[in-house]
Parts: sequence; C-alpha cells; structure tokens
Amino acid sequence: MRINFIVNGGSVEIDADPARPLLDVLRVDLSLTGTKQGCDHEGECGACTVLLDGQPVRSCLTPVGKAQGRRVETVEGLAGPDGLHPLQSAFIETGAVQCGYCTPGMLMAAKGLLDRTPAPTHEQVVDALDGNLCRCTGYKKIAEAVDLAARRLRGETAEISRGGEPVGGSELRSDSTPKVTGAAKYVEDMTMPDMLVGRVLRSPHHHARILSLDTQKARGLPGVVAVLTADDVPGALYFEDYSLEEPVLPQVGETVRMVGAPVALVVAETREAAYAALDAIEVGYEPLPHTFDTDEALATGAPRIAGNGNVLTRFELKRGDLTAAFDRADAIVEGEYRLAFLEHSALEREALLGYYDEAGRLTVVGGCHEPFYQQGYIAECLGLPREQVRVIMPPTGGSFGGKQDPWPFLATALMTRHVAAAGHTGTAVMLAYSRQESFAATPKRHPYVVRNRIGATRDGALTAIRVRIDANTGAYDSHGQYIPEYAVTASGGPYRWDAVDAYAQTVYTNGPKAGQYRGFGTAQACFATECALDELCEKLGADPLEFRLRSALREGEASFLGYPVAESLGFAEVLEALRPAYEAMLERSRESRAGHIGRGVGLAAMWYRFGKSGSLRVEAHAELARDGHFIIYCTAADYGQGTNTTMAQMAAEALSIGRERIEVVNADTARAPDSGIQGASRATYFVGGAVTAAARNLAIETLGMAAELLDRAPQTLRFEDERVTAPDGVSIALAEVAAEFDRVGKSRRVRGAFDLSGQFPEATRPTYAPLFVTGAHLAEVEVDLRTGETRVLRMAAAHDVGRAVNRRDAEGQIEGAVLMGVGAALMEEVLPGHTTGFADYYLPTIKSMPQIEVFLVEKAGRYGPMGVKGLGEAAMLPATPAIINAVSRAIGPAGGRRIRTAPATPERILRAVRGEAL
Amino acid sequence: MTQYLYPRTPEEAVAALVEAQGRAIIIAGGTDVLPDMEKGKWRPDRLVDITRIPELGQVEAGGGWVTVGAAVPFAALREHPLIAERVHALADAAASVGARAIQTGATWAGNLVQAMPAADGAVIAVALDAEARILDASGAAWQRVADLYLGPGRSKIDPTGQLLTHIRFPLPSEAWGTAWRRAGRRPSLILPTLNCAATVALREDRIAAATIAMGPVGPCPVRAGDAELFLRGQLPSPEVMAEAAQLALCQAQPRSSALRASREYRMAVLPVLVREALTEAAQRAGCPPQS
Ligand code: FES
Ligand code: FES
Repeated sequence: MRINFIVNGGSVEIDADPARPLLDVLRVDLSLTGTKQGCDHEGECGACTVLLDGQPVRSCLTPVGKAQGRRVETVEGLAGPDGLHPLQSAFIETGAVQCGYCTPGMLMAAKGLLDRTPAPTHEQVVDALDGNLCRCTGYKKIAEAVDLAARRLRGETAEISRGGEPVGGSELRSDSTPKVTGAAKYVEDMTMPDMLVGRVLRSPHHHARILSLDTQKARGLPGVVAVLTADDVPGALYFEDYSLEEPVLPQVGETVRMVGAPVALVVAETREAAYAALDAIEVGYEPLPHTFDTDEALATGAPRIAGNGNVLTRFELKRGDLTAAFDRADAIVEGEYRLAFLEHSALEREALLGYYDEAGRLTVVGGCHEPFYQQGYIAECLGLPREQVRVIMPPTGGSFGGKQDPWPFLATALMTRHVAAAGHTGTAVMLAYSRQESFAATPKRHPYVVRNRIGATRDGALTAIRVRIDANTGAYDSHGQYIPEYAVTASGGPYRWDAVDAYAQTVYTNGPKAGQYRGFGTAQACFATECALDELCEKLGADPLEFRLRSALREGEASFLGYPVAESLGFAEVLEALRPAYEAMLERSRESRAGHIGRGVGLAAMWYRFGKSGSLRVEAHAELARDGHFIIYCTAADYGQGTNTTMAQMAAEALSIGRERIEVVNADTARAPDSGIQGASRATYFVGGAVTAAARNLAIETLGMAAELLDRAPQTLRFEDERVTAPDGVSIALAEVAAEFDRVGKSRRVRGAFDLSGQFPEATRPTYAPLFVTGAHLAEVEVDLRTGETRVLRMAAAHDVGRAVNRRDAEGQIEGAVLMGVGAALMEEVLPGHTTGFADYYLPTIKSMPQIEVFLVEKAGRYGPMGVKGLGEAAMLPATPAIINAVSRAIGPAGGRRIRTAPATPERILRAVRGEAL
Repeated sequence: MTQYLYPRTPEEAVAALVEAQGRAIIIAGGTDVLPDMEKGKWRPDRLVDITRIPELGQVEAGGGWVTVGAAVPFAALREHPLIAERVHALADAAASVGARAIQTGATWAGNLVQAMPAADGAVIAVALDAEARILDASGAAWQRVADLYLGPGRSKIDPTGQLLTHIRFPLPSEAWGTAWRRAGRRPSLILPTLNCAATVALREDRIAAATIAMGPVGPCPVRAGDAELFLRGQLPSPEVMAEAAQLALCQAQPRSSALRASREYRMAVLPVLVREALTEAAQRAGCPPQS
C-alpha cells in the first residue's frame, strides 16, 4: 500500500504493508536509524518513541498505516539549520548521554512534553519520561537536561557550571553529538551490501542430552546459506581460561545445560528464511533432571550438571584465631543472605556484524570489553593466525559486563567464515539478539547464598568474621571460576578484623549462565557483610557510621588479606563526607513517622579491588598526524561509560592543548595497540596512564623537532592551536613539524607505557595487585507497612576517586549505579523458566529515582596518572545493602524482621513486617 | 499485504468488517493489536482504523451520562477536564496504563475488548457501571461492560465483526466521589499485582450507594457485591470501610504468580486497597476526612 506522510518536515511516500510497525519502516525503509528498538517491539522500553502529530508514541506499537497523512518527528529532525535543538545541547551539557541508546527516545518524549507544556513541573517531566528506560544514567541528569532546555526555550538564560581545564572539570563528552542527533551508528544501524542474517538455534530444555542433530532439511531450504554445528568448527571448541566445560557448540552426546544454550547456527538471506531453517533443524533431546538452586545442586543425589560434584572452583582464606576472636566478642550476629539472578539489561541488545575487511581480515564489529581477547578467541576457534582477525568496537549501547562474553563473537566469526568459504555472494553477516534471547542466553549476575557470622566488642571493635558463600554460576562457567576469590576479598571489606575464616565456591545449576556483571561477584558478598554489620550495630545499639569508622582500615595497615592497600586509602574521609547527609536523613526520618508508613535510613560501605590480575604494564601510542593534529591509539573499550572522552582529556592535559585537537582511535585491533585486560574499572588508571605517557613522549619528540626547526630551546616552546610557539613569538605550524619528521625518516608515532611491575614485582605480589578504592552510600526509604511497597526517597553516595578526571561523568556513573542498586534491592530478579524480557524483569523507571547526592572524595592516588583511581563498578556495591538496611530499619519498630533477601519485593517486605520467613 | 482502511463513520467500519468475513479487525491505538498479530492471535487481511471517525473521538456529558468515544486515547481521557475534575478514579486508571507514549495511542474501548482481568480500564469501567455500545450488522445495542466477559482475555465483542463505538457511565449530580488504587512491583509500566476502583454516593452523610471493582482476583473484573450491599445506608466511618474491605476480600479469588505475587500477598493487600479507595471516594463525595 502507498502511504504518504511527513517525516521531519519533508513528505515521503513509501510502499509498505501498513501493518508493519512504524519503527521498522523508519529504520529500514527510510534509513532513519536514530530511533532505536530495545524490547522486541513489546512497548516495554521507550527507545522507539517518536512524535506523531506532536504526540509521543511507541513507534514499535504503531502500524505505519496510522501515519498516513500525518506528521512524524524523529530524532534526526530535532536539529535545525542553526544547530542543535536546545534539548540536544542540554542533554550533552548536563551529561544526560552515556551510551546514548535511550537518548533518541528520551529526547522525543521530552520534546512532546515541552511542545505542549513549556513550563513543566518536575512531576510532569517524570510523567513524560516514565517508561523510557535508561540503564546508564540513573535518570537524574536526563531530568535536569529537560528542565534546562525548558528554561532556555522559554527565553531564560540558563547555564550550568562547567570546568575549564581538561582534567578535573566537567568536560563535555566528545561523542555525544552524534548520539543526540541520531547519527551515531550502533551495530544494528549498520548495513552492508548483501548482508545476511545470522540466527541461533537454542535449547528449549533446562537440561538435556543431545541424542541427534540433523540439519539436512534446513540446509536445503531456499534462502538458507549455511547451517553450522559443532562439526563445522575448524579450531578450538573450548576456551578454558574463559569458561570450563562450555563448548562453542555442543556435539551429539553432550549435554545442553540451560534453556537458551546454543545448539546450531543458521545463516540466511532473510529473517524469514532464517526462522524457517531454525524450525527445520531436527534435534533429538533426552531431557535430564534439573535444578536452579545451589543447595539442591550440592545435595546428595543431585542431578549431575558439571564440575566436581557440581562445584566449579573454591577459594578459602583463614587468618587469626577465629575461636578466640569470637570469644572476645560481646555481640555476634549470624545470618543467611540470598540474592537473585540479575540481567544487565543494557538498552542495546547483543548485535554483531561480521565481514572481511579491505585487507582480507575476518572482521567482527561488536560491543565488548576486550577486543584483543575476542580477537584471540576467534583466531583459536577458527584456526587462524591472530593477524587475520580483526575486532572493532563500535558505539555501544551499554554493557555493565554483559558484553564480555566471547560467544557472540565466536558465533559471528564462524558464520562469516563459512559464508565466505561457501563462496556466497553475501559477504557480511549480522547477528542481532532479540531481547528474549538476551535474557535467556547471555551471562547473568551470580545469585549468592551467603551464610555469615560476625562479632564485635561492646565498644564497637570488629573481632571476627566467618563466611560461607555458594555462588550460583548457572549452567556454565563463563568466568565463574574466578568468582570465589573475589567473593572472599569483598566479604571482609575495608575493616580491621582479628580473625577471618572465609570460604566461597561456585556451584553449577541449570539456571542461566552467570558471568561478568558490574562488580564481578563482589556486590553480593558486600551485601551480606554490610547487612550483617548493620544488624550488629542494632544489636549493640551502635551508630552505623561511628561503628564503621571505629573499625575502618587505615592507610598502611595490613588488611585481612595480609597486606596493606597499596593505593592511598580514603575510607575514613568517605564516611566523614557522608556525615552531614546522614544526620539530615536521620532527622527527617524521626520527624515523619506516620501510622502505616515506616521510615528508615541505611548505610553501607565497601572496598573494591580495581585493576584485575592482568599485566601491570599497559601500552598506548600517540601520533602527530600529517595535518598537525594529535591521534591517541589505545584500547579502553567505551560501551557508554565515556573512556573515549577520558582518554582525550588525559592526553590533552599531558600535551597542554585543547581537547578538540585530539583524535582517539580506540579499541580496534587493527589500528590500536593491545592495552591489556579490561574491566575491573581499569581503563582510566592503567590505560589512562599509558595514554598520558605516550602523549608526554610525543610532546617531547614534537617540541624537540620544532626546536631544531625554530632554533630555540625545546623547553621554552609550547603548543598553541595548530602551531608550536616560542616566547619571542616565532612559531611553526605543526603540519610543518610533521613534514619534517617524514623528511628525516623519523616516526611520528611514539609509544607510552604505564608500568607498575616495578612497584609490584611478580615474585612477591599477590595474584591481584593490592589496589583498592572505597565508598559508602546512604539510603532513606519509606515503607508502606501494610503492603510492603517501598520508595527510596534519597540516596547519598561518597566515593574516593583519587581525582575526578571528568566530574560530571563520575557523577553520572555513580547515579547510574545507584539506580541499578535500587533495582537490585527492590525489583530485579530473573526467575529461570519464567522471566522472558522487559515485560517481566522490572527495571527501575524514572518514577523510582530517588534524590541523589554524590560526594567525590579526592584523595590523590599514588601511582595512577594525575592521581586517579578506578571507579565505574565500585559504585554498584554499597547501594543495595544501604537500601536494604534502610528498609530493615524502617520496618523494625513495627516488629519487622531483618531483610536478608534481595530483591526485597513488596511481598517479601510484607512477610518481614509480619515476622514471617521470606 | 494487509489492507488498511480509514472509515468515516462507525457504520462504514462495520461494513468493512462484514465484507471481509472475519479476515478484518478493528484497530484503534494498535498498542495491543500489533503485539497480538506478532504472536499470531490475529492474522487479519484488513485493519479497520477507527481513529479518524470524528464522532468516536469525543468525550461528552449529558442526560446524566458521560459518553466516551472508542477512539479517545487514555492520554486525552485523563486530561479531559470533566474526567480529571469529577471522575478521579477514571483519570487515575487511565494514567496507570503503560506509559504516556502508550496512553497517547491506547484506548479505553480497546482495553475492554482485550478483556484482561487486570486491565485498568476494565476494572474502572465495571466500578462505574459502564455500558458499551456495540454496533454490528444487525444494529446497535448498549450492554453492561460487566456482562461482556467470557473469560480471561476473551470478550463477547468480536473485533472481526463488531465495533464497540462508545462507553458510557452514569454521572450522579452531586455528593459522589471515586478513587483508584493499584499495587505493583514497581510504580509504573507494569501490569498490576492488584487494582481496585471504588465509587461512593452520599445522602445526608450516609452512603446511598457504593461500588467496588477489583482485579485480578478472578477470571474477569470482580464487583464486591456483598460489600456494596453492606455499605448502603451506613455512615462512612473507618470501621465501616474496614468491614466492607473484609467483605470484598471474601469475593476475591486471586491466584499466585511467580512473576508478580502470591495469592496470600494479594489477599493481604486487597483489603488495604479497597479500604483506601472507599475512604478516598467518600471524601471526594464530601465526607469530611476521618482518621
Ligand atoms: S522498542 Fe518500542 S518500546 Fe521498546
Ligand atoms: S544512556 Fe540511557 S541507556 Fe545508556
């Protein structure tokens, strides 16, 4: 049917099935890929919001027939000839854009509001944005942006403070502009000629043995290019440093251990053909008994899943005389804590594009943490030399650890290679997960069962902790093998203990595989310890803040791990930073205790070891480009947290130039150096250190060369715009300096390294370098004692960041983590066999946003560049226990029991209020 | 390829359905139709879009009734001055559906035809004693909304042959109030764990009539008839409201759901919601607040 409508002011006529979602027509037929899809067209995410005759609508639920003769506005139409729309600039300036995947929908929802309500109240802003999910920002800066834009649109001059210097201020993100205009190309927005569709056949069983696998019929279907099974994997099937006993694809006779486990891959010319092929693959399964519960998996007679008696790995740490230390305690608490499977829920689902690049390299473009690791895995799996594989990091719509799994990369690479080997004309393969697939098949956060016992003396000194942790790794390892050590380390926290006895193990079940998730196994352990500490405070009648201060680890003091924190330790400062907010919260909650409403204030703290175990030497490159600008080459994957900007800022500071002169080539294995293992909030510290060093080295080389050309002393020269200038005003263009490098045959590209291997020699250091950061959160909550419904009213978060490279980004990271903490505390839970997607996995919307206050404690670090320390993941840890402690304190006066399970759903809270078991 | 029609009158819409002999369905906002088509619940050849029929886009009051056209989206409903000022429960129920960008499309009528037991629009309609005007080849007739349910997700209205053109409900002239309560695992963008609507009409400080509708506590929205009967003639005291809430509970048969809440939780919370809704409705009817 012919459909005419106006898009962003211009009329279009298309020929399309009018029942197709407007979203698909915009993205596919009109190539307006700014509008996003995040929830399988279920109306559950808001990423697809556009305006139809000025009204915000979900374009995924709107048949394009409805657009007939009407006006559609998308993000691409926001900017005018004179530049960005005030909403767009406000989003950039306030830091409301992180990964940017929710941004187009947010912008359009906000525009719909401001067009009809120029002076909205905060409630109206919340109402307009409610239901548009954002996983990165915590919504605070988005609401601020809308308010700022509204004021400007009304003609007020509204400014927000902005730091001037490259580091330490609140520099604007370098890559935000394309994200607010819709120009940024995420993988799903990319097209290539003859692009093929990749799909995955997944097991429908929680646990089954594959008895037969017949792909004959599927291969013969029209439009089907390839059907791949384990037999088609040319190289390695297993990657044991990543995941023991998890094959890329299962062989006949092997088991598949969770719903969603991959069985076969399909490449087809169309989506329809791909689905037909999936249906035509014949698999014989023998269903096996299953369990989702670690207690059951460890019991005698449990179904055999994997590992040794279903145990993957163990870790134990004992220090001091436990019995004596408990004997000394005046109060002891003992508890059992339980946490659920969580899904990262990055707004962009897994999406990857495979093709052969111009140099003939098998290339996979996809969001990940470690392009060089993915490159290595792919090479091994395909039996190719590394150099023939390339991995490129595109703009990525969030990860939080979820995109660290190599599986989608291996699948895409396999499909791409087979298509090429088969001589098919199609050269590119797109593998895009549905949201349902993302829920079923990607790693989750490990549920824990923590049984602990903690003692303290009457005057508030901690004496002993005994902890036993069963971490549920689900069906597969996917890095669960490293979890027990992290769990134990986090359990003790930044406190002084006389004795510690900690043991953790990862246990296989048939739940979804658990893996990397913001905090990597530390948040759950921290939760149990911090809740137990709060119980201990209640028992002793101690103030939770003073109590923690009393046992706070001081600088230079050996921790329960047996050695001191090597970095500067600002834990006491963190706690002190919260004191005024804490007192205000206590005051308010005392004032306002009405009949059926319970109010409570909760505190929780943490330490987080950043930097991981990888090499302590990291490299980056800096180059003087031929035209005289500077290029930084590094690998610090940016999935929305802003490393592209951070690296540019750090280079700018090292070179003493403006950031606009710097280009960052980040996370492309063919262009940038391997900057080592990623994650564990390592980027700013390690990679930033290498970038700083490279930039400094380049400054020396460049000024040296200019000095020769100008015949001045190099130390007197400085960069000024596109030139190098001497104090007497003589100057030379950087392009000319670059030409001189070429003329004399000297490389314009130099290396820089950040290297702590001298400080922490391999022979004497623990497996993981003793680099820790600390932080603490406060929560003020209100609980309806009759229904268990809970609102987090306020949160205050203090973190020792060493130095805030980008203040607004640091706040944004923390605010986002706080809201994730709200979700983990009260709502989010993947129930194996039940949860399918956003319709039944409850993420916090803007209506759940508390007032958030962030305190950045800047106790300068010793080794990191410019005094920075790691932050990103750490902010996740204290939010959940702070909220749960607040809830426990809110219901305590009404006779409620302590909450020891997260998420504390209204139902669980009501049970606790009634003194029932959860 | 699907055919997409914009009839200009309700009669034309029905004619377009009849002509397609079961291969056409009515579409208003489309927020349910599109996902249902994706799931295969409907496989129509023709979509009959009623949102451009002028007479279906109105909210009107007259003769003691409020009449809402089938094409009025929830967003317009909740903002309509008459609804926002006089029928709070309906405005609040409309605001509970999904999110604003869904409310701009989704309609009350569509919500009723969808016939889900917890549909906010259905529960409020049943509390308001609403009626639906059903038009088909044989003509038009008003039917009580409460009588339209065959079971969860199954309505007597057949969108492949019938058009719900209007919803109407009586608007008592004065001393009447309504209230809406809802519980869920997050504040919005979620199907309710429980929802309930209450209306209270007062005469000389006593309850002349009250209605209570609840969901999802049965296969379709449930009226708490015993509680309503009990309330008639009572003074709206806290004790009376509490007792009415207990009576309402006796008529509820909620089920356990792993993803939302157990039956026990729903039983525990339902009386709280009913009592609050009744109390607030009575206050809006003019009863002074009592603690
Ligand atoms: S894609 Fe439309 S709401 Fe998620
Ligand atoms: S910035 Fe909102 S989802 Fe990433």
